[in-house]
Amino acid sequence: MHSPRTAYWFLAPALILYLAFVAVPIAQVVGYSFFSWDGGRLDQFVGLANFARLGSDTVFWAALWHNAIWVVLTLAFPLLAGLLLSAILAERRPNTVRALAAIYFIPRTIPLVVAGIIWGWIYNPIFGLLNYGLEAMGLGQFGHAWLAEESTALLSLNVVGAWTFFGFCVVIYLAAIQSIDPSLYEAADIDGAGWGAKFRDITVPLLRNSTLFLGLYAAIEAMRFFDLIWVTTQGGPGYATEVLTTHVYKTFFLVGDFGYAAVLSVVLLIIVLSLASLSFWLLRSK
Amino acid sequence: MKTTTRPIQTLVLAVFAIYALAPVYLVVLASMRSEADLFSGPLSLPWPFNLENFRRVWSESGFSTYFWNSMVISLSVTIIVLLTAPLAGFAFAKVRFRGREALFALFLAGLVVPAPSVIVALYGNLQALGMIDSRLGVILPQAALLTPFSVFMMRTVMQDVPDELIEASTMDGASLIRTFVGVVLPVVRPGLMSLMLIVFLFSWQEYLLPLVVLQTETLKPITVGAASLQGRYGVDYGGIAAAGLIAFAPLVLLFLLLQRSFVRGLSAGAVK
Repeated sequence: MHSPRTAYWFLAPALILYLAFVAVPIAQVVGYSFFSWDGGRLDQFVGLANFARLGSDTVFWAALWHNAIWVVLTLAFPLLAGLLLSAILAERRPNTVRALAAIYFIPRTIPLVVAGIIWGWIYNPIFGLLNYGLEAMGLGQFGHAWLAEESTALLSLNVVGAWTFFGFCVVIYLAAIQSIDPSLYEAADIDGAGWGAKFRDITVPLLRNSTLFLGLYAAIEAMRFFDLIWVTTQGGPGYATEVLTTHVYKTFFLVGDFGYAAVLSVVLLIIVLSLASLSFWLLRSK
Repeated sequence: MKTTTRPIQTLVLAVFAIYALAPVYLVVLASMRSEADLFSGPLSLPWPFNLENFRRVWSESGFSTYFWNSMVISLSVTIIVLLTAPLAGFAFAKVRFRGREALFALFLAGLVVPAPSVIVALYGNLQALGMIDSRLGVILPQAALLTPFSVFMMRTVMQDVPDELIEASTMDGASLIRTFVGVVLPVVRPGLMSLMLIVFLFSWQEYLLPLVVLQTETLKPITVGAASLQGRYGVDYGGIAAAGLIAFAPLVLLFLLLQRSFVRGLSAGAVK
């Protein structure tokens, strides 16, 4: 209907920006991963030699494991909480829904850096509110140096991640619940079905697409996140909260090992792009 | 049955509301507490209200500058995205041209690219371009990283514009760009509003790019400033709380005022 050539002019500004600062750097990173480096300069082509180092890099495997744990915890807690809360909210008055959805969503508007700082303070073993609260309830023996102990650090940080994420799940689920045909619930009421039965047999199955979307979104975010870890533990204690992004950052900026930092970046990209094509394929093929 | 489940459900709603709000509430309390009041416990109301912490971080620790820098960076990114993404989204939604699917897939791939994985090459490129330690070195890559999401969202928005509207305008002899500015943009104003808010939010929240690109203290945005304050003062929780509040208050206010636009934008990808 229009001269198609104009379309390229419409695309050009966004495309140039995207190519210059995202697509081309990605191509470069892939290229860099096949070279050895000498003091910040390309040295020589070494094929897959940089990649071969992955096998013996225990920090890499620990980081990958932590990313995986993060995915599972996100699916188990904020996603499930979002599903439950939105199902409860669906039967409340519109004003209640609007107010509570806003409250649940507020943490997501807070920058992750600031969230990390706030929670770092709550978790502080000496001045922190969590230990203070436990003490006040006579549960002082359950106090921990939450972010400084290997056994609690990753889990404690995940609570922060969940804090910023569950409201988003509520919002997405609510939008989907509102499109469910109310006559389904009415029919179930007539059959005498309780809340639990309606939740299990109507809400959960009909929200499958949203769950799929949120699950894959959570998985991709779990591979991408950096700020929260960097501002709280920087991957420590030891390597207890190391994730792929912090490993890339340290390898590049602190160790200066450009070739291997490129390898880690490529691995990270392969994982998120596979997850993205999986979600694209799953959400389309229905 | 009904009578027992409902109170439990209300309890669940309340517990999660406390989970969401308690940290924010505690930060507000701590930010207004004077040092003398420190030992009356973290949950007691600070009295008298004390704005000394805000004054200190705002004028002595450089937060007026950090705040201004965040404003400049976020607004610049938002303007760049608003000038580029709607055009591209429109082309993808309404014009048939060769390579459309391939180009769209190229953008789509960028939707999930983590900034840390690009930084390895981007950092050297910015150095070569002389953009390290300049605002432009943060603004351009940040706008570029937000482009895939923005183009994707704009394509969804533009698809809802009726074809007849566009045809009627071009039949009258208006060029495509004229039609776009005069007919299409006014129709999609709510979508543009959502895009604007979300891009502003994401830019304000960004940490990694300014952290590695900017070295001059007076150029750094508030996320980097807040993180460095934490290291500098160690246990000055009043100051840290005030700084944190300054860093997130604009976003929370913006969200509460324009909730509908925000939510529409954030769920744009999820519905389709």
